Amino acid sequence: MKDDDDIDVEREFGFEPAVSATGAAAAPSREKPRPRKRRGRLRRRLGATAVLSLALVSMGSLYAAFAASPSANDTGLSKTDIQAGRQLYQVSCITCHGANLDGIVGQGPSLIGVGGAAVYFQVSTGRMPATGQGAENPRKEAKFDEQQTEQLAAYVESVGGGPSVPQGSLRGPDDAIAEGGVLYRLNCASCHGVTGKGAPLSAGKVAPSLNDATDRQMVTAMLSGPEQMPVFSNNQLTPDQKRAIVAYIQTLKASKDPGGAGIDRIGPVSEAIVAWVGGVGAIMIAILWIGARNR
Amino acid sequence: MTTTAPTRRTDAPRTPQGKLAKFFDDRLTAARWTRATLNKLYPDHWSFMMGEIALYSFIVLLLTGTYLSFFFDPSMTEVVYPKNGTYVPMHGVTMSAAYKSTLDITFDVRGGLVVRQIHHWSALMFLAAMLVHMCRVFFTGAFRKPRELNWLIGLSLIGLGIIEGFVGYSLPDDLLSGTGLRIADAIMLSIPVIGTWTSFLIFGGPFPGNIIIGRFYIAHVLLIPAIIAVLIAAHIGLVVIQKHSEFPRRGHTEKTVGGERFMPYYMTKATAFFFIVFGVCAALGGLAQINPVWLFGPYTPSQVSSGSQPDWYMMFLDGSTRLFPSWEIRLWHHTVPPLFWPTVVLPGILFTLAGAFPFIEAKMTNDREKHHLLQRPRDVPVRTGLGCMALTFYLVLFLSGGNDIIAKAFNISLNAMTWGGRIALLILPPLAYLFAYRVCLGLQRHDREVLEHGVETGIIKLLPTGEYIEVHQPLGPTDEHGHGVLPYAGAPVPKRMNQLGASTPLRHIRGFFYPVKEKPEIQAALDELEAREQAEVESAEGPKQLTD
Amino acid sequence: MSDHRPEEGPTADELRQMTSEEAMIASAKAAGVHVIHRRDRFPIRGTRAEKRAERGVALAFAVSGLAGVAFIVYFIVGHWRWHLPGTSQDFQYYTPILGGTLAIMLIFLGIGMVLWVKWLMPEEEVVQDRHDGPSNDEDNLMTEATLVVGFEDTGLPRRGLILRSLMFAGGAVATVPLIALVGGMLKKPGSQLLHTLYRRNSKLFPNSDGMVPIVDGLWRPVSPDDMEPGAIATVFPGVRQKTAWGTDGLTDAASPTLLIRLRPGQTVKPRAGQAGWGWPSESPEYIAFSKICTHAGCPASLYEQQTGRLLCPCHQSQFQVLEDAKPVFGPATRSLPKLPITVREGDDGRLYFYAVSDFHEAIGPGFWERR
Repeated sequence: MKDDDDIDVEREFGFEPAVSATGAAAAPSREKPRPRKRRGRLRRRLGATAVLSLALVSMGSLYAAFAASPSANDTGLSKTDIQAGRQLYQVSCITCHGANLDGIVGQGPSLIGVGGAAVYFQVSTGRMPATGQGAENPRKEAKFDEQQTEQLAAYVESVGGGPSVPQGSLRGPDDAIAEGGVLYRLNCASCHGVTGKGAPLSAGKVAPSLNDATDRQMVTAMLSGPEQMPVFSNNQLTPDQKRAIVAYIQTLKASKDPGGAGIDRIGPVSEAIVAWVGGVGAIMIAILWIGARNR
Repeated sequence: MTTTAPTRRTDAPRTPQGKLAKFFDDRLTAARWTRATLNKLYPDHWSFMMGEIALYSFIVLLLTGTYLSFFFDPSMTEVVYPKNGTYVPMHGVTMSAAYKSTLDITFDVRGGLVVRQIHHWSALMFLAAMLVHMCRVFFTGAFRKPRELNWLIGLSLIGLGIIEGFVGYSLPDDLLSGTGLRIADAIMLSIPVIGTWTSFLIFGGPFPGNIIIGRFYIAHVLLIPAIIAVLIAAHIGLVVIQKHSEFPRRGHTEKTVGGERFMPYYMTKATAFFFIVFGVCAALGGLAQINPVWLFGPYTPSQVSSGSQPDWYMMFLDGSTRLFPSWEIRLWHHTVPPLFWPTVVLPGILFTLAGAFPFIEAKMTNDREKHHLLQRPRDVPVRTGLGCMALTFYLVLFLSGGNDIIAKAFNISLNAMTWGGRIALLILPPLAYLFAYRVCLGLQRHDREVLEHGVETGIIKLLPTGEYIEVHQPLGPTDEHGHGVLPYAGAPVPKRMNQLGASTPLRHIRGFFYPVKEKPEIQAALDELEAREQAEVESAEGPKQLTD
Repeated sequence: MSDHRPEEGPTADELRQMTSEEAMIASAKAAGVHVIHRRDRFPIRGTRAEKRAERGVALAFAVSGLAGVAFIVYFIVGHWRWHLPGTSQDFQYYTPILGGTLAIMLIFLGIGMVLWVKWLMPEEEVVQDRHDGPSNDEDNLMTEATLVVGFEDTGLPRRGLILRSLMFAGGAVATVPLIALVGGMLKKPGSQLLHTLYRRNSKLFPNSDGMVPIVDGLWRPVSPDDMEPGAIATVFPGVRQKTAWGTDGLTDAASPTLLIRLRPGQTVKPRAGQAGWGWPSESPEYIAFSKICTHAGCPASLYEQQTGRLLCPCHQSQFQVLEDAKPVFGPATRSLPKLPITVREGDDGRLYFYAVSDFHEAIGPGFWERR
């Protein structure tokens, strides 16, 4: 949204942001009850990717059509994908990260060894390509679609290695939710907060809110430790534990508040505002009315 | 007196009410007391209802709290949330029985959540109302002799209310309140000499131990509420004995008090207001989610959530703790931790200053008189300035208690928020004093201008000399120069034409905007009353002079 | 309260002659209440205006009653059970509807009552005498005399022995319950604040020379391979045996420790005497600090892996891990205590972390006895 020169892929192809290819905007609000099966959402997202890919075909990008469903291939992406990722890299990333991915001092860090997971997280959350230098790169609309992001990730990983983008379902089953909650509170809540609302760190840095985070973004973030976030390798938190954490967070985000308006689920600060403005305010109006002289 | 009439025996009451009264009077001899009680005047000015909000929310707290006590288990015994429990994200999680029973109230008691939320919201309202009420009493000088004792009782109620609230907030044993409890332990530890002993005494060993919830429970449901109830009774009893203070106007003098009679007016209105306060608490409890402990998780000492704050009434202490610099005293192998100053010394100073204020003010102004008439804040610029200064100080601390949320919401650096708070805490209160003082003087001057020159009518008149003047409507009789001779009487002065006589909606808000002109029959009655009072004063002064 | 100065009230016979309203006014007057204006709002009964006002009040009460009925109905039939997302989320309406109907019921009852006063009850203007001057001389003198004689009758002014012994007994009576309560609750702070479960324990851990294994939140021993550069883990002493106060390694409030693996290129500037407390000891890459903030005891665990800052979420103290967790911002005054760690080879051939010894200083917030 902030990059004016970005091509707004979703708009151009008439997609609602709610079914965006990255799933970025789809995650937080789930108005209608969705079917019990968790895979349904993922499938829908993949469906969107497929439609998007078809659109790309019509634009003359014949190549994209063959790799329409990235998760169909669990072993990784093909050479042609890496080739396509390289082309994308040379257009959008090379100015900061250098021709050999070894970074440019004062521009961007080396990408050797960061792995596909880091690339996927950074690009799919719109943090990369960066718009400017700040304490943190904020989340914004992604510049590339899921397909292109995976290609970029494949390319960077093919050059420098590192943790790759996990494939398949990244959300644990219902009976793992509670375990995910315990792990989340122990490892993640100190920064992201028990309700995933994020928090400021020192001097302008932030632990972002998880409102918009997709399953895969969460897992790739844990694997790669973007910016100030610590790394949680698969030895430290097993893939199953990661899936449990994802299941917990997505359940938390999707559950409706049983106690009325959630008032942003940030605890006593919003409660203080409601108590003073709503509660005391309403009673003050009542007082003025009761105390008014009616003569 | 009516009750001493000789023919009384033979006179059976004719009305049902009379028969009922007779039944009780035969047993309690209560006719005289009842008559006086039913006729007693209660305040009807809106600003006097703030204390009532606190009273009614306390009653709501008692009602909802009793309900909750039927379901809550104040035990720290470790239990496991059953795998078939209602709230799936807690299946198999180890927690205390207190936390589990809170989850059960939320998810397994029909309507339990709404009651729990009403309870928590009315706790916030209880403390907010007390603070607002205290501000009203402070800024209008209602704490002056003879009401200093009530000021002290009120202050104790605020202190107890804060403790009661904190203790109650700790009961569910969730991650947020457990974090608060850990800080409370650190505060106790920080007290010089007796700190570690105090902490071990309260927690029965090292934090958190396994008895603190039980102890807090009995303090929360019995000990503190009982003291609060007694103090509220004393607080209201003193108001009944001393009668309420009021803003000056005709009929409202140091000798007489206005208001409305208990039966049927005040009785009905007070009951109505109780329902309205209860209703607002119920609306909050239903519509806005508060303290969702199921999202916070059970307390364990290794976990924490970012953005941890206490409830609003504790936030100023959290703020002072955040702002206080890292100063620690180390003497002879002993430590006074930095936590001691902002959490023990600072509230100690604040409460002491507040409690001593009526006496300090009386001393400074050399005022030993009784005062039943309230002052408009503008008429006492120093007090108003000091009050604004204190409120600003409090507000900076309060906002700093949520400075991480503010930093996140407005993309400000956390470190900048801390420094901003530190600087603001030193600079803003004196500025607030100066500002309020100036504003008071300006308002005073304007009042006197209007009294002297009258109200601006907006009518421009061309004088024969060619000069344009605006016509002013004098408020009362004028002297030979056309200047008003009405003295300032501590009451609001109408500033615009439509505040004179004619009806405006605002005018109905009594005391601040009431009309200067009374209806003729009231006028006459008031004149008579004043004459009587004057005579009384003279007769009282007469003999005194003789004895001198 | 009322009987300070009896007014000249009417006699019973006079009262019998009066209308009820006149008698009421007389009654008020006897209480020092002057009814200076009183007027029926609807002097002519049954006007349309009066009926309208009456209906208005009744409407408010009716709304209140209907809301109460709605509350009961929804209380019984409403869907209130929490369900996982993906299934019916109807429960989200239960609390708001209950609270809403309850609020409407109560508020409209209140509104109706206020309207009743404002619209239908006679308007009144009353003033009450305050009578709060000092009591009259007679009362004061008599009270004073009673007090003086009462005190003299006890003989206390003359009998100093009784007074002193009574004060002694009174002091004892007042102190005993206090002592009984406080004494019952009193616990001597022992070494609990100075030691943690990381203390070497040859009995429990004979194989590791008494060194306590370091485990994660699921009792798994922690290995250096588990952590990537820039990783943190909350770890605990692997002591399953319960302490005297019922905690074990995972639940003890002093246990939580933050094990950090530095990024390549990051080095720790150790505090005096604490060089080599990490692993490998020559140039530590893994270091462990107490997670309990030295300020107020919250778990300080917002770790910025690139800058090495560690932030406490409660009062925003910031510690610089690369300078051995020195406080660099906020109210904290002391560095987070560092845990000396080392590794040993386990049965499976992997290396696992052990605590060489306990922390060398008290963890957590400061207290008086702390040096």
